[in-house]
Amino acid sequence: MTHDENEIELTPEERMMLAALPREVPHGDLLEERVVRALRSEGYFGVSPRARNRAVGIALRVAAAVALFAGGVATGRFLMVPSEAQTASGSAPSTIRASDTSRPASSSSIPVKRRETVVAEREMWL
Amino acid sequence: MIASIPANGHIAIPELTAVPPSAAVTDAALIAAAIAGKESAFRELFRRHTPHLLQFVARVLGRSGMDAEDVVQDTWLRAYPALVTFRNESSFSTWLCSVGLRAALDSMRRGKRHDAGELFDEETHFTPPPAEDRLDMESAIGRLAPGYRMVLILHDVEGFTHEEIAMQLGIAPGTSKAQLFKARRVMRALLTGKEKT
Repeated sequence: MTHDENEIELTPEERMMLAALPREVPHGDLLEERVVRALRSEGYFGVSPRARNRAVGIALRVAAAVALFAGGVATGRFLMVPSEAQTASGSAPSTIRASDTSRPASSSSIPVKRRETVVAEREMWL
Repeated sequence: MIASIPANGHIAIPELTAVPPSAAVTDAALIAAAIAGKESAFRELFRRHTPHLLQFVARVLGRSGMDAEDVVQDTWLRAYPALVTFRNESSFSTWLCSVGLRAALDSMRRGKRHDAGELFDEETHFTPPPAEDRLDMESAIGRLAPGYRMVLILHDVEGFTHEEIAMQLGIAPGTSKAQLFKARRVMRALLTGKEKT
């Protein structure tokens, strides 16, 4: 290609036609909403209400699961670890013992038959 | 230009309320607010620049069959995370158009399975329309081959230099000049209905 070919110039008429070309075209509101929604879905412009509700729901479920687990652990420990008095006497679990506190009788006074029932129940739990 | 003072000496002051509030806010301020996550600032930026972007993208796509609005959406999705890189060295509109150009190029390559650079290698063979079917400028640009069309739009419509075009399109400045020459020749033939001017 020659130098002259690279230097091809527009005619005044062509320049006028090019200058007269529209520079802008109106866009619809739908396009704006599409773009904003797409940006929101990619995590821009803060957290959307739906995403926030979902996050709160997940947090509540996790908290409930942790509470249940902790409650289960606490209950299990409370039931499994015998108190010093129980260890010494080899008596029934503390729940049974606690339910028996209204009774004036000591652990040694529990009838043999009832103590056997308690031991059988404890073995069943284990 | 010096405004003439009326005979009664009273100078009419345009009402400030007639100026839209958004016009007073600069692009730089809107960009900063949009980066900070302010959606209203982004929307204002969008409304201000999308009419030109949409026209530019539609013109670049020509008759490729691609949806200009899809490319505009893609452009904003690329531009928003990249706003932090905008350094006011050019106008925001020019910067946005360069992002739009890349989005349009990608869209055309995906649609036609072009390889990179293929758009600028193809030689166009065409039959000029009869003199009575001369095209207007917009139609003539739309009928150019993609490589010709892009360079002609960027240089003759948008006012980019060959160096800027070369940088945007990933081609040599000489290639840009050659493409422009061919584009103008074909465009002239389409406008006049004659093969050679």
